[in-house]
Amino acid sequence: MAYTTFNRNEFDTFAQPMFFGEQVNVARYDQQKHKIFENLIEKQLSFFWRPEEVDLTNDRKDFFDLPEHEKHIFVSNLKYQTLLDSVQGRSPNIALLPVVSLPELETWIETWSFSETIHSRSYTHIVRNIVPNPAQIFDDITRNEHITRRAISVTEYYDSFINLSNYYIQLGEGTHQVNGETIEVNMHELKRRMYLMMVSVNVLEAIRFYVSFACSFAFAERAKMEGNAKIIKLIARDEALHLTGTQHILQIMAKGKDDPEFATIAEECRDDVVRIFSEAAQQEKEWAEYLFKDGSMIGLNKDILCQYVEYITNQRIAALGFDPVFPQRNNPLPWINAWLNSDNVQVAPQEAEISSYLVGAIDSEVDTADLGDFDL
Amino acid sequence: MSAALKNPTETPDNDFELTGEDLPISTFELEALQPEAEQPAPLQTELFLPESNPEQPEISPQIEFDGMQKPLFSVLLDDGREVHFRHAASLLESLEAQDVAVHYQCREGYCGSCRVQLLEGNVHYAEEPMAWLNEGDILPCCCIPKSDIKIKL
Repeated sequence: MAYTTFNRNEFDTFAQPMFFGEQVNVARYDQQKHKIFENLIEKQLSFFWRPEEVDLTNDRKDFFDLPEHEKHIFVSNLKYQTLLDSVQGRSPNIALLPVVSLPELETWIETWSFSETIHSRSYTHIVRNIVPNPAQIFDDITRNEHITRRAISVTEYYDSFINLSNYYIQLGEGTHQVNGETIEVNMHELKRRMYLMMVSVNVLEAIRFYVSFACSFAFAERAKMEGNAKIIKLIARDEALHLTGTQHILQIMAKGKDDPEFATIAEECRDDVVRIFSEAAQQEKEWAEYLFKDGSMIGLNKDILCQYVEYITNQRIAALGFDPVFPQRNNPLPWINAWLNSDNVQVAPQEAEISSYLVGAIDSEVDTADLGDFDL
Repeated sequence: MSAALKNPTETPDNDFELTGEDLPISTFELEALQPEAEQPAPLQTELFLPESNPEQPEISPQIEFDGMQKPLFSVLLDDGREVHFRHAASLLESLEAQDVAVHYQCREGYCGSCRVQLLEGNVHYAEEPMAWLNEGDILPCCCIPKSDIKIKL
C-alpha cells in the first residue's frame, strides 16, 4: 500500500483503527472516533507559550556563581533534555503520520510534535543566556558518551519501527528483495514494533524527563536559576499532557478497542513493557550517578534522585495497569509537586519582565513647558 | 524643538533636536546613571494552593436550607485511616487538608498523577477528566464523593 498524501477512497471513519487502516484524506473533525485526541489538541493549544516570554537575566548571574560541580549538573541536564526533545520534535511525525488513520489523531500527533519544538527552542534560549558560545554545549551532545549512550536507548524503538514501516509503506506486506536483501514485512511484527515504540515514548515522557525536572526544581528551591525553572515548569505541563496522550494510545491498543490484533500484541509484550520500564529506570539511575560524580547539590543527591526514579517508575507503570516494579515507597521529593503544578505557571507582564512589554514603554509625561515655543 | 519640527529633514538620524531653550544639561539625567537604590527582589514562586483549610472554613460556604442535610461523607483509606469530606472543592483538597499526602501535578484532570483506586462508593466529576482512567480508578483532583467512599492510595 503505497503512501498517498490524499486518499481518494471513500470509507467510514468510525470503522477505522487508529493506525494501519485507510490513510487519512480530509482533515475533518466533525466525525471523531476518539474524542480524547480533540480534547488533547485543544488543551495543548491553550498551553501555547514562547521561550522569550520568560526573563532569564537573573539566571545568568546565578549560573556564574554556581560551583563547578553544580554547573556540571545544570549543563548536563540541559544537554540531555535537548537530546530528548530533538528526538520528540521529529520522531512522532516521521513514525506515526504515514500510518495513521484518524484525522483527529493525526492532528494530535502534529500538535504534540510541534510543542516539542518549542521546548527545543527554549533550550537554545537558556543556553544562549548562560554561555557566550552556545556551540560548546550543543556540540557536546553528540560527543559526550554518557549522553550518546542514552540516545541509543531513546531512539532504538523508533528506528526499528520506522525501518520496517518504510518498507511497508513502499512495498506492502510480504517478502521482498531489496538490494539483494530479503525483507520480511508482516503486520504482526509491524504492530509489535509500534506498540513497543509507544511504550518507549511513554517512558521517555514519564520517567526520563523527570530526573532533569527534579534537578531544575531543586535549583529553584534554593532561589537559583529561577527563570530556567519557570521554563521547565511550562515544559513539564506540556509533557504531562503528552504523557496522557501516549497513555490513551497505549490503552486503546491494549484494550483492542479498535484493532483486536493490538490487544493480543499488548498481551504478548507484557514482559517487554516491564523490561523497558526497568531498563529506563536503571539508565536514569546511572545518569544520576554521572550528574553527581563531582558532588551533590544542596537538597538533592544521587540516592534521593534514584529513589525518586523508582517512585515515579512505579507510578507510571501502574497507570498502564501493571504491577509496581520497585518496592512501594512515598514520594521522596514531595516539594516537587508544587513545582510541577501548572496552577503556578504565570507569565503575565506584571509577574515577569517581558521584553515586548518593555519595548512599548514610553514616558508619557508632557509638561506645558515642552510646548513653550510651539506655534501654529 | 521648533527648529526640528520645522525642518524635520535636517537631522534625519535623530527623532528630535534640542535647541532654543537654554536648559542646563543636568535637567536631562539619564536613568541608568543613577546609582541603583537596591537590587530587585528575586523572582518569587507563587503558590495558589488554598491558604485556608478547605475542610474547616470559617464561614460555611454552603447555604443552609431547612430540611436539607449538609453532605458529610466518610473517606476511608485502605491503610485504616479515616477522614471526612464536607466542604472542599475536590476530594484532593479535602485529603490534603487532613494531612493525607497524595501525588499530584496538574490538579485539573489531564495528567493523571493523583490517580487512586476507588474500592467502595461513588464519586462525581463536574467535568470529565482527560487523563486515562483504568476501571476502578478515580482522580481526586477533580471529583467529589457522592457517598461514603473507600479508597486505596
